[in-house]
Amino acid sequence: MGLVEEVGPEVTNLKRGDRVVVPFTIACGNCIFCKKKYWAACDNTNPNAHLMEKAYGYSGAGLFGYSHMMGGYSGGQAQYVRVPFANVGPLKIENDLPDEKVLFLSDIFPTGYMAAENAQIQPGDTVAVWGCGPVGQFAIASAFMLGAARVIAIDRFQERLDLARSLGAITVDYSEEDVSVLTALKDLTGGVGPDSCIDAVGLEAHSNELQGIYDVVKTALFMETDRPSVLRQAIQAVRKGGTLSIPGVYGGLLDKVPFGAAFGKGITMKMARPTCTTTCSRCWSALRRVRSIPATSFLTTSPWNKPRRCTKSGVTKKRK
Amino acid sequence: MSTSPLTEKHCAEDLPPSIGASVVVNGRYLPPPEDEDGKLWVRTSALVLKDAQTLYEMWRNVEAAPRWQEHIVNVVETGATTSRWSMKTSNEDDAKVISWESEVLADEPGVRIAWRSIGGESDNAGEVIFEEAPNGVGTVVTVLQEFRMGKLASTWETLVGRHPKQAVVENLRHFKALAETGEIPRTQLDPHGDRGVIGNFKRSSYGETVPTPTGGN
Ligand SMILES: NC(=O)c1ccc[n+]([C@@H]2O[C@H](COP(=O)([O-])OP(=O)(O)OC[C@H]3O[C@@H](n4cnc5c(N)ncnc54)[C@H](O)[C@@H]3O)[C@@H](O)[C@H]2O)c1
Ligand SMILES: [Zn+2]
Repeated sequence: MGLVEEVGPEVTNLKRGDRVVVPFTIACGNCIFCKKKYWAACDNTNPNAHLMEKAYGYSGAGLFGYSHMMGGYSGGQAQYVRVPFANVGPLKIENDLPDEKVLFLSDIFPTGYMAAENAQIQPGDTVAVWGCGPVGQFAIASAFMLGAARVIAIDRFQERLDLARSLGAITVDYSEEDVSVLTALKDLTGGVGPDSCIDAVGLEAHSNELQGIYDVVKTALFMETDRPSVLRQAIQAVRKGGTLSIPGVYGGLLDKVPFGAAFGKGITMKMARPTCTTTCSRCWSALRRVRSIPATSFLTTSPWNKPRRCTKSGVTKKRK
Repeated sequence: MSTSPLTEKHCAEDLPPSIGASVVVNGRYLPPPEDEDGKLWVRTSALVLKDAQTLYEMWRNVEAAPRWQEHIVNVVETGATTSRWSMKTSNEDDAKVISWESEVLADEPGVRIAWRSIGGESDNAGEVIFEEAPNGVGTVVTVLQEFRMGKLASTWETLVGRHPKQAVVENLRHFKALAETGEIPRTQLDPHGDRGVIGNFKRSSYGETVPTPTGGN
């Protein structure tokens, strides 16, 4: 998020000085996927599409500040960001909401919100969320917004669990001795299991079980790329016919995923990067409606006060 | 004929008996031709949300090819159906430039263009076909290209970090981006920190060093 510093000649809806949030997914607005509003699947914005095509079959959108497989766009957290297709992505903020609340619209709020949408929550449902990082916190808040009666949050860091409790979740500290997450989730749902599970941890999951060592060894030997211990646990934990929503990022090849359990219980798995531009505007309306959105608590302030010049077009300047 | 719910196809389209570039012939899918006798084939297609006539005109405008085709530095029309093409053989500024004469063999506005080289330092032939997409949304652009480059092919690959077959795929991708959005996004000029040994290795071996065409003049 920041201020528009300069605009290219064909940018029609922004001008210098506008306050904007720029989604981390870059969308062209004109391809078949953009037309269907799957912005994160844009066909045209990844200059290294051939890399992703090899690994994933097809390429998705270019992403700010991500890997070279996703285009190698710099920015995301930089002082200046060159924003391609500036008529499509940026959300103009004409409102006095403080930066600390609006900032998260570029990535983690839509990510958490879409995770809750993908969890197919029905009013009164119980939702379990692994990971109380920023994505997890927004998934918790969004799950409540979308009708969850009860949210169970799992992590091992006290301040993160405290924040989750302040949003209304029941917390489980998986690192405590004698705590088994599967048992805890059964205990908290009368043996049924959560209607929906959200894996807001992803490929760098921590595990203090044997499988954790297995994954560390295999990834070190390049025989596996991701450490899917949360994914395995969430597949086990979700109730029969329930939904598993995965906003946590997975990158490549995963070992020992209990697919039989997923099949046997007939669960639905939904996953994606948020289709930012659209999810963003839904979050934006939610922001203006709801007060309980976590905000300043994850902010750290950065020391940039001497911005450098940048001559490219469509540039936004970070406010912080 | 008696109708049964099992034979009902209320959304089905008439199946095309054949699709261009021998993708489908008499209802059967055919794989692309195999490489043989030093001849390389590549067939690739893309769905472009523009009408066939517009895309045909863009492709037929050969002098504009350097805007969207990698390594092409210059194309000059030398007659109604002939043109002279010049191409860099590496990513360096002072790269050796090869050139050849090309001739359009078939020219059906809004439908297809076929061409071949007629002398010079590259032996290639190709065809591009524009067909309406199955549900009527956009145009499927299929390119079938053939090269006979002998020793040049492998040397070229090591020099520019891109196999000539992949270059055809990339060119169609650039063509689509330019047609749909009016530009070809690139990140090569973005400032960045040192990518380290592995990063630099990936950069050259994955073809990230091939300059993305500008999309404009
Ligand atoms: N889908 C998207 O577009 C998108 C966008 C942003 C972030 N993400 C991904 O979401 C994930 C979370 O992001 P974040 O910024 O909140 O990260 P984070 O690292 O701040 O939080 C992850 C949390 O998971 C906890 N955790 C680790 N192992 C666990 C386990 N076994 N059980 C329960 N909790 C465990 C950690 O203690 C940590 O608090 C990452 O994979 C990130 O890449 C996805
Ligand atoms: Zn697009």
